[in-house]
Amino acid sequence: MIRMFRSEWLKIRRSVLWLLAVVSPLLAGLFGLFGAENEGDFPWQEALSLMSVLHAMLFLPLLTGVFAAVVCRYEHGGGGWKAMLAMPVKRTHVFCAKFAVVMLLLALTQLLLLAALLIVGFAHGFTSPIPWHDLLVSFGGGWVACLPLAALQLFVSIAFQSFAAPLAVNVILTLPNIMVLNSAKYAPYDPWAQPMLAMLPRGSMAASALNLSLETLYLVVLGSFCVFFAAGLTYFNRRAA
Amino acid sequence: MTLTMNTELILETQGLTKRLGGKPVVNGVNLQIGRGDIYGFLGPNGAGKTTTIRMLLGLARPTNGAIRIFGKDIRKERLAILRKVGSLVEYPSYYGHLNAVENLEAVRRLLPGVPKSRIDEVLSIVRLTNDARRAVKGYSLGMKQRLGIATALLGDPELLILDEPTNGLDPAGIQEIRELIKSLPKTSGVTILISSHLLSEVEQMATRVGIIAKGNLIYQDSIERLREQAQGRIRLGVSDPESAWQMLLSYGYPAEWDRSKLTVGQTDDRTVASIVSRLVNHHFQVYRVEEEHASLESIFLEMTGSEGSL
Repeated sequence: MIRMFRSEWLKIRRSVLWLLAVVSPLLAGLFGLFGAENEGDFPWQEALSLMSVLHAMLFLPLLTGVFAAVVCRYEHGGGGWKAMLAMPVKRTHVFCAKFAVVMLLLALTQLLLLAALLIVGFAHGFTSPIPWHDLLVSFGGGWVACLPLAALQLFVSIAFQSFAAPLAVNVILTLPNIMVLNSAKYAPYDPWAQPMLAMLPRGSMAASALNLSLETLYLVVLGSFCVFFAAGLTYFNRRAA
Repeated sequence: MTLTMNTELILETQGLTKRLGGKPVVNGVNLQIGRGDIYGFLGPNGAGKTTTIRMLLGLARPTNGAIRIFGKDIRKERLAILRKVGSLVEYPSYYGHLNAVENLEAVRRLLPGVPKSRIDEVLSIVRLTNDARRAVKGYSLGMKQRLGIATALLGDPELLILDEPTNGLDPAGIQEIRELIKSLPKTSGVTILISSHLLSEVEQMATRVGIIAKGNLIYQDSIERLREQAQGRIRLGVSDPESAWQMLLSYGYPAEWDRSKLTVGQTDDRTVASIVSRLVNHHFQVYRVEEEHASLESIFLEMTGSEGSL
């Protein structure tokens, strides 16, 4: 499994993925620099909600799809699947290693966004102490909320030879976020809405959907993750290479 | 048809069958490959070669039948088998954005116990040392193919499975790959299964041949045995060949007349001499006595029903 992961690492080391991980934090950083103000009692939380709206609602779910598509693309492209699966490797390990790479890239994106937030805070001269606990819950929660998305996107990316098809699926599932997030009824159950629900500071927005308990959120996230991951893994283990 | 008892079987299939949509693509194939063989696996395009090879590598599941490699069942000990198998299926796989060394390193990390120095070794075997630091997407097809062979050799395999390794190469590239493959068993003692749709491509290196057509293995034996079948005939140019044919038949010679040429299937000097003297004695005018060689290729085409060869 570790061998598998180290092999994957080598393949993405020289890839454009790294640039992609930077885009969203960079945009959010610009938002923060021009939009955030050193006012109110919770400037950090306010900067965070400002910066993470676009990121958590659109970029994070979309990036999940792009990362998953790219780690499969170089296998589809050069006939890598059959070459790799003719090696002494377990298919389950291959699947898990790819999944781990996607999650790692997402973690990197989250860290970069956190760095952007800190820079914005210092640039504006926020005086209140950095609320590490809130930030950890927000960034960590957003990352965890990507688990089911990453599992499903990996499944779709393995199933389709083309690069565009999994991305189309991704966009179709992500765009409704804009509306779903306004619905207290559906938002808690739409896995694509979860990164947003998890990342925005608790109670910082009026939308009623955001007031749900962490328990509900994690139940939806982990439940859908288990379903998608199991489905993807079963499919990968059964298909002919 | 079977190998002699003292040869150890490296690979054996029994009744190997793959049905796709109810249609058998591979039908009851019994392959037998002994240690040190260079086994030419031949058949027209679409005969079931690649499907067979995919099953041998555990990439596709057989509908029926068993595969034993190194005496182990592929269904039960896939990883143990694949550790000692190197393969190149259809076209070489590579990561275009990486160079040759990185490509090999990505594979090496999946192979337990292969030292880093082995990368330089396989690169020099396929003579890619000078281009090793260039991104593979800029390689010619022949170079990619050689990198594919280097990848297959990386784990120091006991069995090398090469599916159409010369596909799409120009004659110089084909020659190069052929020389490379020929040199392998001598240097590393490896057993090789090499598939091709051209007999001429493998006949110079193969020690054994299996011919598959429409999913059925229709021939499996040594290349010498196949050559014997390709033995020549004597063609006779005579006046009134039809009555000459009847005369020769009445003396018991294996003569054939197809309304354009008269041939005899026995080519030893004594027979030829006696046939000529019979012809002269019966007042036929003998214009020509010439030997005709049936090429291996024509035998191959005859066996496989010649479809799909163009």
